[in-house]
Amino acid sequence: MLLKLAWRNIWRNKRRSLLTLAAVVFASLMAIAMRGIQLGTFALNIKTVVELFSGYMQIQENGYHDNPSLNKSFIVDQSMISSLQNTKGILGFAPRLYADGLISYKNESRGTAIFAIDPDKESLVTNFMQNVDRGKFFTSDSSHEVVLGSQLLENLKAKIGDNVIILAQGFDGTLGNQKYKIVGTVKLGVQGMEAATVFMGIKSAQSLLGMGNRVNAIAIKVHNINQLKKVKKSLIQVIHDPNLSVLLWNNVNPGLQQMLEFSSVRGIIFLGILFVIVAFGILNTVLMSVTERFREFGVVLSIGMPQIKLTYLVYIETLLLTLFGLLLGNLLGFVLNSYIVDHPIMFGGEMKKMYESYHFLPQAQSSTDFKIFLYVSLAIILISLFACIYPAHKVYKLEPLKGIRHT
Amino acid sequence: MEIVKTENLVKIYQDNGVPVEALKMINLSVSKGEYVVIAGPSGSGKTTLLNLLGALDKPTKGKIYFEGEDITLKEKSDLAKIRLHKLGFIFQAYNLIPVLSAIENIEFSMMLLGIPEKERKEKALSLMDELGIKELADKRPNEMSGGQQQRVAVTRAIVNNPSLVLADEPTANLDSVTAGHLLDLMERMNAEKNITFIFSSHDRQVIDRAKRLIILKDGLIES
Repeated sequence: MLLKLAWRNIWRNKRRSLLTLAAVVFASLMAIAMRGIQLGTFALNIKTVVELFSGYMQIQENGYHDNPSLNKSFIVDQSMISSLQNTKGILGFAPRLYADGLISYKNESRGTAIFAIDPDKESLVTNFMQNVDRGKFFTSDSSHEVVLGSQLLENLKAKIGDNVIILAQGFDGTLGNQKYKIVGTVKLGVQGMEAATVFMGIKSAQSLLGMGNRVNAIAIKVHNINQLKKVKKSLIQVIHDPNLSVLLWNNVNPGLQQMLEFSSVRGIIFLGILFVIVAFGILNTVLMSVTERFREFGVVLSIGMPQIKLTYLVYIETLLLTLFGLLLGNLLGFVLNSYIVDHPIMFGGEMKKMYESYHFLPQAQSSTDFKIFLYVSLAIILISLFACIYPAHKVYKLEPLKGIRHT
Repeated sequence: MEIVKTENLVKIYQDNGVPVEALKMINLSVSKGEYVVIAGPSGSGKTTLLNLLGALDKPTKGKIYFEGEDITLKEKSDLAKIRLHKLGFIFQAYNLIPVLSAIENIEFSMMLLGIPEKERKEKALSLMDELGIKELADKRPNEMSGGQQQRVAVTRAIVNNPSLVLADEPTANLDSVTAGHLLDLMERMNAEKNITFIFSSHDRQVIDRAKRLIILKDGLIES
């Protein structure tokens, strides 16, 4: 009967209840949409950055990440390959060699970041090779062929098929230089990278740098990003080399992690402000609804209703209204988030440039992850209950006579 | 059997910091089955006395015994239990719960006692039938006349078989014919069910029907 009473009490002042309901629906919809866009875009950004270059995790020699050097390299032997192949959760792995150098074509020279890969293996880990916009990507068998960042080709005033000279300091400190044929260019979506990166086969790079069969890193792709820590733990156990470390994407790219965390905190603060406003709205409504019923409460207390049950009634009324609002808010939130998942918001202008400067796709994605709906709903329920404390306390302290005499 | 008894009961209110002595040394005893009317002019202390007898308020001095037990120093929760189990209230303004139908209003106090829904519905309907208001069962208070509401309020007051029913000016908002019907009803309950009634009223009709009349004046029992 308390539930029936609470439900009918809610609808005795339809306008006020509808306004409260609208506030809960709006707050939950906004929170779900905002959090959905935030987490959806984070996931997209992580995926974009991780699958574009870094991979989900990397094996490197200790200290390489903080102080990169050709000397911090290691040999990928059969035992390591077996370990990688046999570790559950790993989808693919690719050896890499990074170096800095100088690329020249006729009278044009540019500083360059050499990114040496094995295309067959790299395609299992990252996807930048799909972004060829001119020519083709070299194959694992080809040698002395390079692919340039799109802008680098323009800067060198070269064209596909031209030969360039690449100069770099080798493993032993000597300068090496070799001639390579430009077979294609790639669009990387990031201007800085497009203007400075040259891709070459790992064997070509090992020859140029005098590295033998050493590499700087092995990039790894996993089946499920949520299982990263588990895969890392398994991998550490099978590698058995104290000189090597397994770094997750957020270790390889701590700037990305920090930026996403900062952005997440900013989003949570904004949601907090939204929730506080809603809490005051609920407090106001409940307080008004309670105060105008003091006389009625005085009567039910007179006929023996325990004060605590009357307090429950106030909470039940608020919870019913909140749950009803959340139901609608969640439903609308799901529809909105699903729409954005299917139709991402594309950025232009400065926003696009800013996103690209972080290697992100210039778009906002959303998410329909159940946790978003669960946490937003729990937060709003808690806030509603919190907003009820003061009105409920007033009811709890109400004397029957004071209630009956209330006008 | 003595239902309620007061000893040297004093009630002093603070009215804007000024003490007002509403009741002065009231000694009163009401036995099972009595039909008592407390009469007196406005401000004589009728309602104050009724509130004290109904465990709605605490005296400044003196004692109140309910069924032989001193309830003066009891906790709020204990007083609520006494009101729920032993007392019935009828108010001047009916005071039914507006969002509940007549039968739900009657069931309400049974619900507080934890009586199962089926049982309380049967009991409420049976009593409504007995009091001739069965046809009002599904009506909300705003769909009933004042007299009908007060009949429902009487039913609500007696449905838990209380030891004592306190009625504060129950006919004040009713026309004389309706008030007469209501008083008939309460007299019948008193006679048939031996329910003890204490009224506060200055309605001539109520006073005339009193089996015992207590006149209050300036906080004192005059007769």
